[in-house]
Parts: sequence; C-alpha cells; structure tokens
Amino acid sequence: MRTLFGFLSLLVVAAAPGAAHAHAFLDHASPLVGSTVPTAPHEVSLSFTQNLEPAFSSVEVTDASGARVDQGKARISGNTMQIGLKALPPGSYKVRWHALSVDTHATEGNFSFHVGGP
Amino acid sequence: MPHPLRVPRAFALTLVLFAASLTQAAAHCFVGARFFPATLAVDDPCVADEMSLPTVSWSKTGDVPPASEWDVSAEISKRITEDFGISIGDTWSQIRPPGGPTQAGFSDLETTLQYQLLKDGSQELALLLGLIVDWGGTGATNSGLGTSYSALTPTFYFGKGFGDLPDATGWLRAFAVTGQVGYQFPTSSYDVAMGAYIPQYLVYGGSIQYSMPYLKSEIKDLQLPDLINHLIPIVEAQLATPVANNFGNSYLTTGTINPGVIWVGSYFQVGLEAQLPVNRASGTGLGFLGQLHLYLDDMFPQTIGRPLLGGSTTAPRKLSF
Repeated sequence: MRTLFGFLSLLVVAAAPGAAHAHAFLDHASPLVGSTVPTAPHEVSLSFTQNLEPAFSSVEVTDASGARVDQGKARISGNTMQIGLKALPPGSYKVRWHALSVDTHATEGNFSFHVGGP
Repeated sequence: MPHPLRVPRAFALTLVLFAASLTQAAAHCFVGARFFPATLAVDDPCVADEMSLPTVSWSKTGDVPPASEWDVSAEISKRITEDFGISIGDTWSQIRPPGGPTQAGFSDLETTLQYQLLKDGSQELALLLGLIVDWGGTGATNSGLGTSYSALTPTFYFGKGFGDLPDATGWLRAFAVTGQVGYQFPTSSYDVAMGAYIPQYLVYGGSIQYSMPYLKSEIKDLQLPDLINHLIPIVEAQLATPVANNFGNSYLTTGTINPGVIWVGSYFQVGLEAQLPVNRASGTGLGFLGQLHLYLDDMFPQTIGRPLLGGSTTAPRKLSF
C-alpha cells in the first residue's frame, strides 16, 4: 500500500500542473448575484476564476418577458466579461452566461438581479 | 513480506495513466450550472477523470466487543470515451480486536465500468449505469478481508439539482440529491471454507447536499467569506440489505449515515464526514471518513484529463449571442 501511494504521490508531484487551468467558475458579478440595486446599472460585469476564451464565451441579459436588454456584444478580456445595458426600467432581469476557459473547459450559469424597489 | 498483488496493481495503474497521457479531451461532474462533487461514501452520477487519494476511515465494528478498524483506499477513474469510463480501486484494512490478533491486508480489487446515460443541463439531471466487479482471490483471503469468489453489482446512479425550481423558491434551489441502487450477486452461492451461504444484496445509498458555490453564483451572493463559498454541506447514506440466498441468516439492513462537508477547489476537493451506524450490526459509535479527491481533468487537461478515445463530443460551439 505504501508503495502504491508513494508511486501515485510521486506521479502527482512530478506532473504538477504548472500550466494547468480549470473550469471557470463565476467569482463575482456586478450587480451582485441576486441583488436589488436602486438605480439601473449601465453594464453587467462578470469575473471568473480562470481566463476565458473570448470566441466561445458569451453573456446575455433579458427582462422578465425574455426580451434582450443588453447592447449585444460582450467585451471579454482575461477573466472578465462585460456587456453594456440599455436603459433599464425597474424590474427583474436575468443574466445568462457561457464560459470557456482557455483550456476548453466549458461552464454556464444564470442569475437574476433587480432594479428599484426593495 | 510484500503483498503479491502490490506490483501488478501499481503496474496496472501505470498503464492506465500512461495510456491516458497519449490522448485527448475535457470534465468532472458539471450538469448545466450544477456541479456535483465527488461524494465519499457513494459515487457521483458522472464518468470522469479523477482520483481519490487517499480515502481514510476509522470506525468500530459491530462485534461484541467491537474491534477498531482503519481503512485506507485509493481509486482512479478514467474516461475511455466522453461517456464511458472505468475505475480501479482497492482498500487496505487493519482490524484490531481488543485482546486479539490484529488482521491487516487488502480487500479484493474493485473495478467499475460506467456509462453516462444522460446529462440534462436545464434540469440539472444526470443518469449513469455501472457494473462494479470485486475480483475474488485478489485480496487477503486468509484474514477474511478478501474473498475467494467475485461479486458483480450492476448499479444505477442518478443526480438531480433543484436549480430549475422557480426563482421564488430562493435558496432552496442550491439543494441537490444523488443516489445509487445496485444488486450484488456473488459468482459462488456457497462458501465452503466458512460453511455458509453467500447472500445476494441490494446495495443502495445517496446524498443530499447544499452547494454554497451554487448559492453564491446562481441565487444570491451574500458576500460570505471565501472559505464558506467553497463548502458543500452533505449527508450521505450507504446501506445494504441481504435479499436472497441468505438461508438461516438475518435479513437485517446494515449501513451508515454520514453527515459532513466537502470543500471544493479548482483542482481538488477535501471531504470529511462522520459515520453513524444505522444499527448495532453496522458498527459501534461514531466513526469518521476523510478524502482527498483530485480533478485530473483540471490538473492535466492536455494529457490524462481527457478521454482515451474520441475526444470531447461536446466540442466548443460558437455562441450566437
């Protein structure tokens, strides 16, 4: 058993992930996930735990009826993704994102934020 | 004296790892926005490139008086194709009865073939079929830790996240459940050495888990400390009930309920659980279970973290929005 564990431990250490990457998790967002903001934001900004592949990562923002309220083209640099917003009236909005980390691991998610009111 | 199976086991693992390094592809158990962590007592519902090294448990047996038991196990899982994988694992045990001789050795080598039936991201639903084989004669049969016969366990696994509940359910959407049900039948019906029939078992279990990472990224960012945002509190159950060929013996269900927590990182996770026996026959008092689990697909995305054949069927697609 000790031999086996020693072998595997050695393997892990020897092949240490010097250039490794991983799945891109959403680290934080602005507006915050699930938050209510008093005034309409001009953009949604997402920050991930890994750098993104711009050609295969995207974000969209929709209102309660499902209509797009973003300005269409996300700006992606490093581990951040930003997209401009049209003028938002008070209401609930959904952010849907797809991310491909630079080593081709794909992740996706969605969350809501609210403008105005409690 | 070295265990006669030690070299072949290490060699087999080397072959798997070497072969894996020659090919390509990508992921552990992501289903839509849901990540199912590798659970400690039961299996998660996905084929994956991963390694549990080690899993350590301590408990007291259900004997009278109870013996102290340590188990140390290792398992590596490797995708052959995107949806088909194999796992190889083994456990070394030491059982120390009070006043009696200590028994130690390997249990039978265990292999598992698994096929991913379904991954539905919108419903956070994963279904998996598996065949577990415990290879008789590969463990320490003299000390009773291995058997002279093999056991086959066809098993069905599932995982379901509740992120598809209405937004109004709020924080409840971070819950998920997993489960597995298998039927274990031995390749022999009678153990001559023990003079007893070998039962067939229904082997089942599951988990209920609450994902703090999911809460933070999908429902509400409470701006909690980073440590908390990586935790998945969990309760697992693993149970076995003899259902056939059990003449003269009890049909009592045995198993444990395991409350605990898993810390999830980008390249590995660490889990720690208590083990509560469901009855006196299952153990005596509180035990514990700990595991370091490595995500090989994230650690080595260009080598052993990819399927051996075919690459990824979920190739990146240019998104339209």
